[in-house]
Amino acid sequence: MESRGRQPVADVALQGGNIAVAEVADRGKVLQKLRMTDIGFRWLTRGAAIAVLLILGGIIVSLVWGSLEAIGKFGFGFLVTESWNPVTEQFGALSPIYGTIVTSIIAMVIAVPIGLFIALFLTELCPMFLRRPIGIAIELLAGIPSIIYGIWGLFVFAPFLQQHVQPFLINTLGNVPGIGGLFAGPPYGIGVLTAGLILAIMVLPFITSISRDVFSAVPPVLKEAAYGLGCTTWEVSRYVVLPFTRVGVIGGVMLGLGRALGETMAVTFVIGNAHRISASIMAPGTTISATIANEFTEAVEPIYTSSLILLGLILFAITFIVLACARLLLMRLNARVGA
Amino acid sequence: MTMANFTVPTVTSTVTSADGLTEKISVRNLDFFYGDHRALKTINVALYHGKVTAFIGPSGCGKSTLLRVLNRMYDLYPNQRATGTVQLDHDNILSPSQDLNLLRAKVGMVFQKPTPFPMTIYENIAFGIRLYEKLPKSELDGRVQHALERAALWNEVKDKLGANGQSLSGGQQQRLCIARTVAVRPEVILFDEPCSALDPISTAKIEELIDELKEDYTIAIVTHNMQQAARVSDFTAFMYLGELVEYGETTKIFTAPNDRRTQDYITGRFG
Repeated sequence: MESRGRQPVADVALQGGNIAVAEVADRGKVLQKLRMTDIGFRWLTRGAAIAVLLILGGIIVSLVWGSLEAIGKFGFGFLVTESWNPVTEQFGALSPIYGTIVTSIIAMVIAVPIGLFIALFLTELCPMFLRRPIGIAIELLAGIPSIIYGIWGLFVFAPFLQQHVQPFLINTLGNVPGIGGLFAGPPYGIGVLTAGLILAIMVLPFITSISRDVFSAVPPVLKEAAYGLGCTTWEVSRYVVLPFTRVGVIGGVMLGLGRALGETMAVTFVIGNAHRISASIMAPGTTISATIANEFTEAVEPIYTSSLILLGLILFAITFIVLACARLLLMRLNARVGA
Repeated sequence: MTMANFTVPTVTSTVTSADGLTEKISVRNLDFFYGDHRALKTINVALYHGKVTAFIGPSGCGKSTLLRVLNRMYDLYPNQRATGTVQLDHDNILSPSQDLNLLRAKVGMVFQKPTPFPMTIYENIAFGIRLYEKLPKSELDGRVQHALERAALWNEVKDKLGANGQSLSGGQQQRLCIARTVAVRPEVILFDEPCSALDPISTAKIEELIDELKEDYTIAIVTHNMQQAARVSDFTAFMYLGELVEYGETTKIFTAPNDRRTQDYITGRFG
C-alpha cells in the first residue's frame, strides 16, 4: 500500500503533466466513494434515532387508543376515584397512583442517601483491597432478577418485618404525634412499607454504581485543592465532589426512581394488592404496575381492559413528569452556582 | 544521560543564617517513597520567611514531590510515605499526630492547572474562610474582596461575583485559586508550576503577585521556566534524580553555580 501510494508522486515529479491528471481523477473517485459511505452512515444513524421516536410515538398512540373507552366513561374522575370494582365496573386510579408514588418515595428516601454514602465511601475512604469486592457486590445486587426479590420479600423479608420491625415501629414511632398515623395498625408484614423497602434494595445498586462512576471521574487535583485548603473528607465530598458531579448523580437517582416507579414483580409479591388508601404505610396497598400485572388476565370486559391501559398511560405520564422535574431541578441548581 | 557519571550527592549550600533570615520550614534528611521507589534522597533544605524559594530541575526530579511533602498532600494516597523531619516553625509536620487540616490551613497550595471549585466566584473564596471562621456577612464580604484584591482579580470580577468560577479565563482562574489560598490566611504558600498552563500576560501578572505576596508569606515555587525562577525567587534549589544538588541564593546559582550539573541545566545543556 505504502509504496503504491508513494511511487506515483515521484513519477509525477519526474514525468510531468499526464500522470498528474490521472492521479487527480483517481483521488476524486476515492473521495466520491468515501462521500457515499459518509452519506450512508449519516442515514443509518439518523434512521436509528428516528426509529426511537417512532417506537415511542407508537406506544403513546396505542396507549391512548386503548384507554379511550375508559377516558370516555370516567373522564377526569378516574384520577381521583379510590374505588376499583370490577363487578360493578367502577374504576378509579387513585389508590394505585398513591401506592406507586408512596412506595417510590419510601424507596428513594432510603436508597439515595445510602447509595451516595456507599459511593463516597468507595471513592474517597475505602481501602484499596475492599474496593473491588464491594463494587462487585453492588453490581451483583443489580443483576438479581426482580422475581427473586419478590419471593425473598414474601417468604423471608415480610415475615421478618412482621415479627421484629413492625411491632417495634408501631410501639415507638406509632405513638409520636403527627407522624404516628403513618405507623399505626396491625403488623401485616406485607404492605406499602415492605414494598418501599424492597424497592430501596433494588434501586440501591443503580444509584451507587452511577454515583461511584461519576465521583471517581472528579479530577484528583480538584480534590487536592480542597484538601489543600484544609477541608475534611466530608467537606470535600459535600462542597466539591457532589456539586461537581450533580448532573451525573441526579441522572443516577432518576434512573433509580424510574425503576422504582415501574417495578412490577417484586412489588406485586409484597404490597398486598389492596385497592385502598390507608393512612398507615404498614397497610396493604397497590401500585399501578402491580394492578396491571395482577388483573390483566381477569379483564374480560372491554371497559376493564381499557381502564388497565389507562393506568399504564398514567404511569407513563408520571414518569414523564418526574423526568421533567429532574430537568427543572438541574436547571435551578445550575443557576444557583452561576453556570 | 551524560550526567550519570556524577556521583557526589553533597549539597553545597551558600546560605548562612547570619543574614538575619528566619527559617520557616526546615527539611532534614527527607526521604520519600512511592511504594518501593525512592523519589527523594536525603533532602536538606530551608525555606525562609518573607522569601521566595524556587525549585528547578528536569521532569521527574522530585520537585513536585517535595512540595507535596510540605503540606502532606501525599497522605491522600496509599503507598506513599516520607521519612526524616520537616519542621514548620518548631513542629515536625511529618509526625503522625500532626493535624492535617490545620497544617493545610497554614500551608496553602496553588496547582499547575487552575482548580476553581464548582461554585460561584464569591463562594470559591468564602468557602475556605467559612471552614475556619464564622463571620457575619459584611465581614465575610470584606474578606472576600480583600483576598480578590490581593490576587489582583477584584477589578475584573467585582461585577460578576455570582458567576461560576469555572467561567473565568485560565489566568483569572489561577488568580482566583491564589485568592482562595490567601483568604484562608496561610503562613506558607506552595506554587506547583502555577504558570505552565497560562499565557505570557497572565504569567507576568502571577509573577508580580508572587513578588507582592512574599512580604507576608513564605513562598515555595516549582517551575520549569528558568527565567521565571531567576525573576521571582530569592533562593533557588536545583534538584536532579531525587537529589538536591545545589541550593543557594538565586543570583549565585544562576551566575556562579558550584556544581557542574547545575551549570549544565541552567545553561540548557540538558533537562
